Amino acid sequence: MYSKSNNRVSHRHIRMARVIAMSAILWSFPAQSQALPDSQKLPSFLSATFARMSALKLPDAVQVHGFATQGYMNSTGNNNVFGYSNRHDDGSAGFREVGLNASVQLRPNLLISAQGLHRHAGQGSQDVRLDYGLVDYKAYSGENSQFGIRLGRIKNPIGFYNETRDVAFTRPSIMLPQSIYFDRTRNLAMAADGGHVYGETRTSKGDFFYQFGVVMPYVSGTTTEAAIFGVDRPGHLTSEVSYIGRGMYEYDGGRVRLGVSGAQTNIGYNRGADPALLSGQVQLTPIVFSAQYNAERWSLTSEYAIRHTVVNNFGPFSPNTATTGESYYFQGIYRFTPRWEGVIRYDALYSNRDDRHGSAWAAASPATRDPHSRFAKDLTSGVRWNVTPSFMLAAEHHYVNGTAWLAPLDNPGASTLAGHHSQHWHLFAVQGSFRF
Amino acid sequence: MITATKKMARNGCRLVLLMVLLLGMLSATGIARAHEHYEVVTNANVTTRSLSSNSLRAIFGMRQQTWPDGGAIKVFVLADDAPLHNSFCKEKLGAFPYQMRQAWDRLVFSGTGQAPTKVSSSEEMFDRVASTPGAIGYLEKTKISERINVLQVK
Repeated sequence: MYSKSNNRVSHRHIRMARVIAMSAILWSFPAQSQALPDSQKLPSFLSATFARMSALKLPDAVQVHGFATQGYMNSTGNNNVFGYSNRHDDGSAGFREVGLNASVQLRPNLLISAQGLHRHAGQGSQDVRLDYGLVDYKAYSGENSQFGIRLGRIKNPIGFYNETRDVAFTRPSIMLPQSIYFDRTRNLAMAADGGHVYGETRTSKGDFFYQFGVVMPYVSGTTTEAAIFGVDRPGHLTSEVSYIGRGMYEYDGGRVRLGVSGAQTNIGYNRGADPALLSGQVQLTPIVFSAQYNAERWSLTSEYAIRHTVVNNFGPFSPNTATTGESYYFQGIYRFTPRWEGVIRYDALYSNRDDRHGSAWAAASPATRDPHSRFAKDLTSGVRWNVTPSFMLAAEHHYVNGTAWLAPLDNPGASTLAGHHSQHWHLFAVQGSFRF
Repeated sequence: MITATKKMARNGCRLVLLMVLLLGMLSATGIARAHEHYEVVTNANVTTRSLSSNSLRAIFGMRQQTWPDGGAIKVFVLADDAPLHNSFCKEKLGAFPYQMRQAWDRLVFSGTGQAPTKVSSSEEMFDRVASTPGAIGYLEKTKISERINVLQVK
């Protein structure tokens, strides 16, 4: 076992090299966009490469899209986000998302699609995974309504942002509001295998959309275990039949959007050689209410979530619990020009609404538990520059009171020693993203 | 007892705040209609001559893939920042270009739909709509000829 600090020093040069290489790659992409007038200034071999790429004519029914995002995070205290981002380590450039998807409209009512995703974000990294892969069959399509089914690995329809949470261009900020879209259980939240029915009804008073699925949640990897148990346990989680659904109402072409989404996620635990825990069950039941108003220059968004968690049958060392967490945010976006926009948001997360500031929780074991690990109130302000339609740069600052959404694996001290993390902390992030 | 009362008061405040926000959203005014210098156009093989604005929104929102006669729809649009695209989105779809882009991105990056085909000029719009069976787009009135159909939006 080498020490963490040696590991970090030896990797710092590699990280720096990666940042430089990635930045160079990202910067080269807008040169290839037709919309950029000064493309002549950039290296001509890249333009030539792109010309060759776009010369590969795909059939009309086939579309290929993708994105690549590189971020840099710098945080205060010992608090780490997406890698060792704290200031003692000069921040972290270990945040990277790359996706590539293809879809084929085989017939007007039959679509197949799949996306591969690589994500590097501290200990929650994944080399490449199948993000979604599905068949979409539209059984009925009339003038004012439609109805269909989807089978395969399907993105979870929770709130406004969950389905495209890894695509920087679709996020209002570099980090989504962590109260609802916290990354510590992202593997569970992202997608699930199963079947969905969906439909829409269009009226003069607005459009109604609905979706309901029966799925097996994605529990592989260590991050979900860490989110549930605080550490990676010797046993492994098992996927049980779960349910998910969303209803959405859009008035006047989406000027007003109102939604309710929810899930009942059932997870089992196969204890294997675990000396302490029995094979118990975890049930997560989040319900999210969403509201958005879109004007030409500004958008207001608010979401409120209530999360009920039941933990049962893990034996004497982990008594049965039922807790209800609560989250909400208010967010305003202002578009100064089509290319420049600013965002401001207040985001609050409470792990247990009956013990909002974690005092009862910490009192049970003061030496190892920080009350501030049970809440997080995050004031975010950011700016985004859409340099071209396919390349953007963003920067943002978070001032956070509380550590509830810090990922346990990136913050190993949190579960063993009180006082290791700062309750009041800052996070500064920048990001470049390309898409096509 | 005291904490329960405080909690109720706090929850009440939140609810009031949310209600005010929602009411503010609903009372905002609609988008002014400008005089239109363009038409919604289709390929000559499309038999549909008029369509509700709800259907038009579903078609350009890439959620409706077939014409009422069952033929496949092919959607063409100009760039997000093209003035004609801006007028069309606001006046015919009741949406802003950024909302259309967000809706297409949600489909494309969740695997539940495809993006419309982007053309770079009105000339290319005319050529592609005229030559693609089932095509729909929009075009300045001065650039429309008998080779394509004009679609009435009810």
